[in-house]
Amino acid sequence: MAIATRGTSSNYLQRAPSPSGLADVLDVILDKGLVIDAFVRVSVIGIEVLTIDARIVIASVDTYLRFAEAVNRLDLSQTETAGIDELRNGGSKGKRKAEGALEGAKEKIPGMSSDKERSR
Amino acid sequence: MAPSATTTGVYVYGVVRADELPALSADGVGDAAVELLERDGLAAIVSRLPDDFRVKRRDLNRHLQVLEEAFGETTVVPCAFGTVLASEADVETALLSERHPELASALARLDGTVQLNVKAAYEPDELLRELVAKNPDVARLREESIRLGDAGHHQRVRLGELVAGLLDERREEDTARILSTLSGVAEDVTVDDPGEYDALKASFLVKRRQLDRFDARLEEVARSLQPVVRAEVIGPLPPTAFAGAAAAQ
Repeated sequence: MAIATRGTSSNYLQRAPSPSGLADVLDVILDKGLVIDAFVRVSVIGIEVLTIDARIVIASVDTYLRFAEAVNRLDLSQTETAGIDELRNGGSKGKRKAEGALEGAKEKIPGMSSDKERSR
Repeated sequence: MAPSATTTGVYVYGVVRADELPALSADGVGDAAVELLERDGLAAIVSRLPDDFRVKRRDLNRHLQVLEEAFGETTVVPCAFGTVLASEADVETALLSERHPELASALARLDGTVQLNVKAAYEPDELLRELVAKNPDVARLREESIRLGDAGHHQRVRLGELVAGLLDERREEDTARILSTLSGVAEDVTVDDPGEYDALKASFLVKRRQLDRFDARLEEVARSLQPVVRAEVIGPLPPTAFAGAAAAQ
């Protein structure tokens, strides 16, 4: 559609026509849309589990300590290229760890693991 | 749709006008074929659920794909993921007949609109470096906690607390700035809880003819916030975040 062809993605603004990752899909369809009264709804095995699972927040670790760790890791001099690369790696490592925690939490929930391969 | 003894329920994706029936080819939830149930000028996009059906993660994608396909052809009021009614009769009466007025007004309100999901995320290192540079207390606590090492637990907690507070302030400013830049070119907005390093996560309801202007303003505000913020826009999407609000009006 129009917006996907307009402009090119820059490093400060990415454009995507459709959500690709699980998190983005959840943002679009979970708890969004018309809600139909509970008395005519049928409970299907797994829907509640999948919904609760998607709400798991990664905030189980001490947030303050993680902020502090991230600040202390900064190389303020920025003079050495190696230092900056290390910073970048460090930053993405933190993100991977958080994603790993979420994935881990999902996999502990029965009924979620069977679909794991398909979604990766 | 013939009644079936093994049917657990009828999964509902959304509602369209019966005179604008979209051609649907995508597989539905549980690999079922997607069909349309008509009543009173409206049509529900549905599929039957197999007996002993268990929802899987790929069904999240199926739900969205069916909505996207319908949305590509006509106006659709999306249902929430996991909407399952007991029978086709329930879909026809409890949804299409009983809620006809609000569905009709929702369709009218959503005509010619799309949803754009905007996420503005902080680049953690850029943001933290800026906080250290601008706040002497952060710089001092940072030095102390590094110098003290394992003994600096207290300093680390205070440093983290200070940073978390500054991040909240910064987020408030950036959220206000982004929302005020975009609100003039959007019909509606719903704001989601931002993640730890997000400035803003929001869905905007935008008229198709306003897409260019929305995009230009988003580009402008994203450029002004770089390199601390990295923005992302997903869409045009079916208006999932506005079906409820639209129907309630």
